[in-house]
Amino acid sequence: MPDTMHDSSPAAPASPGRRGFLIAAAGSGFTLAFLRADHSLAESKLAPAVAKQEAEPAFDPGIWFEIDRDGIVTVNIAKAEVGQHIGTALARIVAEELEADWDKVRLHYVASDAKWGQMVTAGSRSVWQDFEPLSRAGAAGRIALVEEGARLLRVPVAACTAKKGVVHGHGRSVSYGEIVRRGKLARHYTPVQLQAILLKTPQQRSLIGQGVQALDIPSKTDGSAIYGIDAQVEGMVYARPKIPPTRHGAKVVSIDDTAARKIKGYIGAAALNDPSNTVPGWVMVYADTYAAASRAAQLVQVKWRAGAAAHVSEQDILAYAARQLHDASLGARLVDDDGLEQAFKGAALTLERHYTTSTVLHFELEPVNALVQQIDGIWHVHAGNQAPSLILPVLAQALKVPESQVILHAYLLGGNMGRRLNGDYCVPAALAAQALGRPVKMICTRADDSQVDSPRSPSLQHLRLAFDGAGKVTAMQHEASAGWPAQVMFPAWLAKDKQGHPYDPSAIAGADHWYTVGAQRVRTISNDLANSSFRPGWLRATGPGWTSWAVESFMDEAAQAAKADPLDFRLSLLQGTGRNAGGAERLAHVLRRAAEKAGWGAAMPADTGLGIAATSGQERDMPTWTACVARLRVDRKTCMVQVEKLTLVIDAGLIIDPDGALAQAEGGVLLGLSMALHEGTAFFNGAVKDGNLNSYLPLRMADVPELDIEFVSSSYPPTGLGEPPVTVVAPAIGNAIFAAVAARVRHLPIRPEAVLKALDRHGAV
Amino acid sequence: MGDSRARPACFEWNCRLIKKIVTGLLLMLALLLVAAGLVAAWHWRPALAPIQPPPADAFSTQLVEQGRILAGIGNCASCHTAKGGADYAGGRAMDTPFGTIYASNLTPDTQTGIGRWSLAVFQRAMREGVRRDGDHLYPVFPYTHFTLVNEADLTALYAYFMTRPPVYAAPQANTLPFPLNLRALQAGWKLLYFKPAAFQTNPAQGLDWNRGRYLAEGLAHCASCHTPRNALGAEIAGSAYLGRPMAHWYAPALTGANTAPLPWTADELYAFLRTGATSLHGVAAGPMAQVVQGLKAAPDSDVRALAVYFADVAGAARRKVDVEAVVKEGIEHSQKVSLVDNDRGASLYVAACASCHSNSDGRPVALRPELSLNSAVSAPDPANLLQVILRGSHQAGLMPGFAQALSDADIAQLAAYLRRSRSHQPAWPELEAAVARIRASSN
Amino acid sequence: MFQITVNGQAHTVDTDPQTPLLWVLRDIVKLTGTKFGCGIGLCGACTVHVDGRAVRSCITPIVSVEASAITTIEGLSPDGKHPLQQAWIATQAPQCGYCQSGQIMQAATLLRDYPQPTDANIDAVMSGNLCRCMAYVRIRKAIKLAAASMQEAPPHA
Repeated sequence: MPDTMHDSSPAAPASPGRRGFLIAAAGSGFTLAFLRADHSLAESKLAPAVAKQEAEPAFDPGIWFEIDRDGIVTVNIAKAEVGQHIGTALARIVAEELEADWDKVRLHYVASDAKWGQMVTAGSRSVWQDFEPLSRAGAAGRIALVEEGARLLRVPVAACTAKKGVVHGHGRSVSYGEIVRRGKLARHYTPVQLQAILLKTPQQRSLIGQGVQALDIPSKTDGSAIYGIDAQVEGMVYARPKIPPTRHGAKVVSIDDTAARKIKGYIGAAALNDPSNTVPGWVMVYADTYAAASRAAQLVQVKWRAGAAAHVSEQDILAYAARQLHDASLGARLVDDDGLEQAFKGAALTLERHYTTSTVLHFELEPVNALVQQIDGIWHVHAGNQAPSLILPVLAQALKVPESQVILHAYLLGGNMGRRLNGDYCVPAALAAQALGRPVKMICTRADDSQVDSPRSPSLQHLRLAFDGAGKVTAMQHEASAGWPAQVMFPAWLAKDKQGHPYDPSAIAGADHWYTVGAQRVRTISNDLANSSFRPGWLRATGPGWTSWAVESFMDEAAQAAKADPLDFRLSLLQGTGRNAGGAERLAHVLRRAAEKAGWGAAMPADTGLGIAATSGQERDMPTWTACVARLRVDRKTCMVQVEKLTLVIDAGLIIDPDGALAQAEGGVLLGLSMALHEGTAFFNGAVKDGNLNSYLPLRMADVPELDIEFVSSSYPPTGLGEPPVTVVAPAIGNAIFAAVAARVRHLPIRPEAVLKALDRHGAV
Repeated sequence: MGDSRARPACFEWNCRLIKKIVTGLLLMLALLLVAAGLVAAWHWRPALAPIQPPPADAFSTQLVEQGRILAGIGNCASCHTAKGGADYAGGRAMDTPFGTIYASNLTPDTQTGIGRWSLAVFQRAMREGVRRDGDHLYPVFPYTHFTLVNEADLTALYAYFMTRPPVYAAPQANTLPFPLNLRALQAGWKLLYFKPAAFQTNPAQGLDWNRGRYLAEGLAHCASCHTPRNALGAEIAGSAYLGRPMAHWYAPALTGANTAPLPWTADELYAFLRTGATSLHGVAAGPMAQVVQGLKAAPDSDVRALAVYFADVAGAARRKVDVEAVVKEGIEHSQKVSLVDNDRGASLYVAACASCHSNSDGRPVALRPELSLNSAVSAPDPANLLQVILRGSHQAGLMPGFAQALSDADIAQLAAYLRRSRSHQPAWPELEAAVARIRASSN
Repeated sequence: MFQITVNGQAHTVDTDPQTPLLWVLRDIVKLTGTKFGCGIGLCGACTVHVDGRAVRSCITPIVSVEASAITTIEGLSPDGKHPLQQAWIATQAPQCGYCQSGQIMQAATLLRDYPQPTDANIDAVMSGNLCRCMAYVRIRKAIKLAAASMQEAPPHA
């Protein structure tokens, strides 16, 4: 079972070798399950459980898939569907080795349960974590079926093979469904036996690497797909919250619903009492239709005593960050080589720059919502969510019940980008249901959603580079201050540096790049002002989404200082020595390939330029090597940036689903473009300034440039794809703007005004 | 006698001066009163005897039907029906610069309506602006136009109104301040601005033109909205059809001063009046939509007649415009769609409007109203465009209103964007204030 | 009380005249395929057809569609096999899928007006539909694929 997302030690996902694998007939089907590592097979509870004639497999922990008497293979998916078609990907991995008939594969998205272990879908890790165990599970299942099928066919096992849900031998055949009906499946594997199974070679694969249609897509074309917002139960009451002026620390002073009482269907309004302090100051407005609740909420007048953040705006957060950066004692150092200070002292040339990024909204198209209903003491939460494990303890605390009495049911997620890692929106619905004694369906309007988003924190980064007399890079320092999502929402995910200082990897990853820069230091500081003003969130690509802005813009500025070509300069630093071995080479490869494809070095028309950037995608322990060349033109009069083409080369190891990978890359690249040029808001007196599409402007169809995306053919283990493409676009664009008109911009999003200002400083570095 | 007090000579002299002045003033006042009295007397009309309401079968179905069509052409319902009220029962508030006047009840109710009006009373009201009891009607009732309606038409109208269901509804009192509430003073207004007349055919023009003119200047009273008015509320002579703002809308110029990119030819006008929408000009909205609704009863020939007449008023035949080129240029320019960060209006347009309003290939698709050709976008007054953005339209397909969705600032920027990118006219000033005013209005 | 026609079926709806059509469809008629995204008519997730034309239902009051024929994504085709729906599957266009009902309904009107749409047509007509997953490349591909297949075999009404 997958361990925590940020296991600090292993470079590869936890292998199934520590686990046993049991195959047993249970009731009407044939079930395959992993055992928890701490159970030995002898003392497992499985033996008596197997005897139970129940449709639902009775053992614990998780059960990966079942085959029924018709040969239907149902793969249990404990991951959230957010658009990456993860269910199909995981099912494919199983089906490949299982030799299932793909037409008979079904997905079952499971409700939360302890048996599934930690339920978090994040970090583009799902396939990376589960590829091995699922392959072995599928293979183990196939072997058991072949053995039993051979027995039923009365053919030696060695003469039997399985293909597409059928076991063949000596001209005879028996289907999986029939084996389940007639056979006596009971087989277990020791960890050693499991590990010894020979998995298919790439040439033997028939599903992985081929085009397979995602199983969740058809329902998304005919209106039958059910998202959290579509959930309904009998007798439910609709609710819309009144959001306080600050996310933290607000208190309700008075509620006046006189004007709301004339709305037909209005039921009432009341402040929530929240033991978990997730939604301080929230007031819920109830009605028997959502339209009425929404209108009534507009008319309910609430007076609050706002939290301290009511006086905090974006400049305050950045000014605070600047002060923090000046204090060398603050923060954690995830990279801290000796000799840094000496290198800077002896430097022939020092380059020093600051980079900033604005607050960015998730703006997931389905605004957050939850429906909560209590049945016989069990609290049923119906909401799209990608991290039940993070929110279940909070719900338990809010409702004052044991965690085992709360179930989060699975739904499709509408346009997530990481918003629903933070399930805080479930809490007010639960509290409301508890207070009312009726099921409550709470939907946030778009403006509400923006107000209670966990946005990507604004950031300030300070970078320094030392060149010696020979032009060699001898030191690099990177310091960043931003809000820390893990600190605010899930401290268990904080890591520790060598001195024991805690830090949030998702707020600095990417700064620990793969360039050889001599003595390197990376320092990360938690911006308390940000943390106390809002809930900083994980937004697709998280830290690398903005650390890459600094690193890859800085690399270009360093190349300029060294009077070197940006590509050559990078390649010269990708030496692959020391801790950068095994990675730098792959990064260099994608850089070269992207440059080649994009025509790097060719003459460009006036005011047109190429810019390059490369990142390792996400965390160092799960790198996806991504390089991008942006080609754009700057209109000197309006200073508008017209991106003409984005060339991407991605090395993500083995690609399970090439077409799906391409789709993810297309989406990620365009999100990166959107955040580079169009998306950004600001805090103003404790709240985000831009709540809806009249002033928050994500990329539209008409602004999609030409895209050329290539995947490196590889048999390395598959790594994540959803997020890495996001990280390379902004710096590639920043660098291309410089190439086009010699204007250097250092803030995201890049606005025409900034280009104009930089143009005015033409020549000045 | 024998007053021994001596008076200064200047005092005597001042007294005499003052006496002269006072006498003079009193004389002038007397003359004015006499003049007013003469005028009032000249315009005095007697009360006419009330009648028993005629029975329904007193009028032939043909006559009543003819009256129905004429009432549609005259758009009587739009003034004489209150919002949510019974047809023709009056009560609709008309805001004038002088106060609020409530339309009277035209149903044949004997107490609150015109149930006791004879045909002669009705005719006198229409032709001379006088009601049964002899009091003058306020010129917000366009008798200056209805005076041209011929006897046959008046008879038909009478038949129609007298056969409507009677509704008991006394309109509210008008809120005109003293002395404007003295109906007798209307005599002065009539002296200056009204002369009862009969319609004169112009033999130099064709049948259609004359019919169109008869309807337009008479019953349809188009100039009541489309001609500017002076401080006393009278149409300004010599400014016929030059357009004017009215009640948070704008009645555009119907002459060559009209700013729409393409001329109002007879075909365009016919299509517009008949269907309420054309691809080359836009849709009828607000009060004009009501006019189109009223005209639905009219035969094609009448609508065509109006079109012929106003095409002449517009001087359409004299305008040399390469229609195809204008359309092509407008559409091509409109096609440059992109998210333009430092142009909020353009971004709003892309997100909210382009899906329905964009065209291509130099031809506007019916049901895709092309804004570069739209008369509201090129009008001197932004009111009509702002109204439609706020409230929507159901004239050429359904357009929802954006009042709840967009703020005053948003709509102002959107309108400014459309103005500068879809017209060659100068920018509208103070758009945000205009949006706020229209949003707050009830119509 | 309003009588409305949705996907060919009559419904009687008791609600305030200003209730947006979107919520009538979702909460009263119980057709949840039409989605709520921004509530101000700027994202297109709520797009339905009124008398065959794409309209944003979140800002359309129920009173204005009383006499009209309303079609939702569920009624676009009897079996989910409209050429657009098939093209959407063939190109694997949807990611999270939340915007796609609106995209498909808008694309249906696009193809009515422009049976062989150019990129400029697609840009202009479809840019009002936001796809947060940014699946625009495939949406465009799917539209062209559907247009081509409809040229060969026009769909039955």
